Amino acid sequence: MIQLTQEVRAGWCLVAVRGRADSAAADELESALRSAVEQHPKVAADFSALDYISSAGLRAVLQAARAAQERQAEFAVCRLSAPARKVFDMSGMHHILRIEAELPC
Amino acid sequence: MLTLLEEAVLLAVDERSGQLRSAREFGTAYALVGALFFDLALARKIDTGTEDVQVLDATPTGNPALDRLLAEMAGRPEIPTVRDWIEAMFQRRDDLEGYALASLAERGILRHEKSKRFWIVNVERFPLVDSGPQQQLKARLAEAIRTDGIPETRDIMLVSLAAPCGLLECVLSEAELAARRERIRLLCNLETISRQVTDAIAGLDASFRHGGATAAQSLR
Repeated sequence: MIQLTQEVRAGWCLVAVRGRADSAAADELESALRSAVEQHPKVAADFSALDYISSAGLRAVLQAARAAQERQAEFAVCRLSAPARKVFDMSGMHHILRIEAELPC
Repeated sequence: MLTLLEEAVLLAVDERSGQLRSAREFGTAYALVGALFFDLALARKIDTGTEDVQVLDATPTGNPALDRLLAEMAGRPEIPTVRDWIEAMFQRRDDLEGYALASLAERGILRHEKSKRFWIVNVERFPLVDSGPQQQLKARLAEAIRTDGIPETRDIMLVSLAAPCGLLECVLSEAELAARRERIRLLCNLETISRQVTDAIAGLDASFRHGGATAAQSLR
């Protein structure tokens, strides 16, 4: 189960992700992040309340970041929860994604 | 659309001779098993964590090679990790290469030729009938490696399968591959399945080296 909320603050669209980003939620996650990227030039995904992220969830984040790259939009993943950090570290996502300790605003 | 298994095997076909490049046979076997897992993941039949694998939906895909693995995984929950499944499938030595070649022939991409060398030795070749799919495949992989952007999911998966068994050598020159070594390593590390395939191949190489060293010592 995943919960997604969105707010705009200081020019950034903040997408807060709560719960489990697994195969069942991957489409919803990718679609929310892509939609944010299509509507805003700066998008930050807040992963502080993410309990679990599977390979399908990681692919969703990567493909949303790819869409941001194509639109030349800024995209950052912020405040990784401990379980998300473990997965991101293991897969070396910091080499390919912008990862921040705090929200940009 | 071709499956990743078919794409991996198509990449291994030498476009001039029609012969299969299997420079590291066991490595290629591991990579083909990895391709099956990726195909199941893309079909949303399985999902993976950092090591574990879960069957999400055991209903058949319509592809016999995928469905055989899917049914087996659904029936054997006692094997919980990707690595254990890769080893189990590797031990079984299904003819995944033969299955993918037959499928590529059926799609009109290549044909199967059998002949005899010196009237005795059986020789099999798979000349390309339509070179377009292989050229497109190589172009996609070259783009994924040469640029610093985020590639499509399928291209990340295929680079990560082709790299550990030497198949990227038919995509880019040795010098280009050397110059982009870090980029390739980065792409290979992104997916749990390819990390486990790479580890399995490294484990096999280490056991060969150990076996070689032991044999050399016994000859002294």
